[in-house]
Amino acid sequence: MNPSLPTLNEPAARLKTTISQVRHFNDLPPEVQDAIVAAAAPRHFATGQVIYLEGEPAEFVYILERGWVKATRMSRDGREQAMLFLRPVEIFGDIAVFTSTTYPGTTTALEAVDTWVVPSTTLMKLVKKHPELALAVIRKLGERVLHYIELVEDLSLRSVEARLANTLLQFAEETDGRLVVPRRAWTTFDEMAVRLGTVRDVLSRTLKTLEAEGLLKVEKQGIVLCDTKRLAERGNM
Amino acid sequence: MNPITDESLHKKVLASLATDDRTATADLRVGVSNGFVHLAGTALSLDIRTAAADLAENIPGVRGVINRIDAPGAPRPARIINLNPEV
Repeated sequence: MNPSLPTLNEPAARLKTTISQVRHFNDLPPEVQDAIVAAAAPRHFATGQVIYLEGEPAEFVYILERGWVKATRMSRDGREQAMLFLRPVEIFGDIAVFTSTTYPGTTTALEAVDTWVVPSTTLMKLVKKHPELALAVIRKLGERVLHYIELVEDLSLRSVEARLANTLLQFAEETDGRLVVPRRAWTTFDEMAVRLGTVRDVLSRTLKTLEAEGLLKVEKQGIVLCDTKRLAERGNM
Repeated sequence: MNPITDESLHKKVLASLATDDRTATADLRVGVSNGFVHLAGTALSLDIRTAAADLAENIPGVRGVINRIDAPGAPRPARIINLNPEV
């Protein structure tokens, strides 16, 4: 057999590796991982493509293997609020499946995204059959609850400036001895505003204020954090 | 009289899109949350995209339409929000 050609087992092996990188799912017994692998199918989404819609029947749970995904919810006055930014490896779409409701938000591929989809009916059967999987799901959902508690606290108690400072510190990466929040193709002002629960103009003004005070510098390749101590203070950390 | 629920609106929007000649063959997806209709999928033209949103908007009880349907010439991100202030 030509070794360069993919074998039938390659996708399954790839998915098993992917599952082993999901927090709480990595220590599932092999037979449970095999059952998930047997039920899953690959699905690709192009940049900007909707993965599922807010209010759409929850037919699948998704395992994110490659690319960033944004989950948003529309407020009654038409403002879009980011709920989650997901990066590999992560599971999403699970809340709606386990609560037998429609998806609570819309997820969009921010770049080319590869996922594995597991039908919700199959997953429910697996959860009932394997207590280890149920426990992993409970842990995962517990983490999600903690995330939303933080989001509520952020949106209700912190200013846009504090939310921005926190977000920048959270996503900064060390590059050539500098702390930089790298600019990805999709990190436009509009996307950042959605993420912070504000509008583009307010975000722009806030960035300019922090830049004028020497806390950060907006460059083409990203935002350089110049004074993390003062940024942390502004973030009420 | 039956109350207007997201579920009933979802069925009505799907039926409306399926029975209109302009949208019947388009690959469209629908979600309804709090009376707001979310549309996605692919349409062959901007006219079909607009027609889908119009059909959804004209269903009694719909509070607004968030149109994310991808079509040639559609804005990117393909998201237009029309709120119906009368509902």
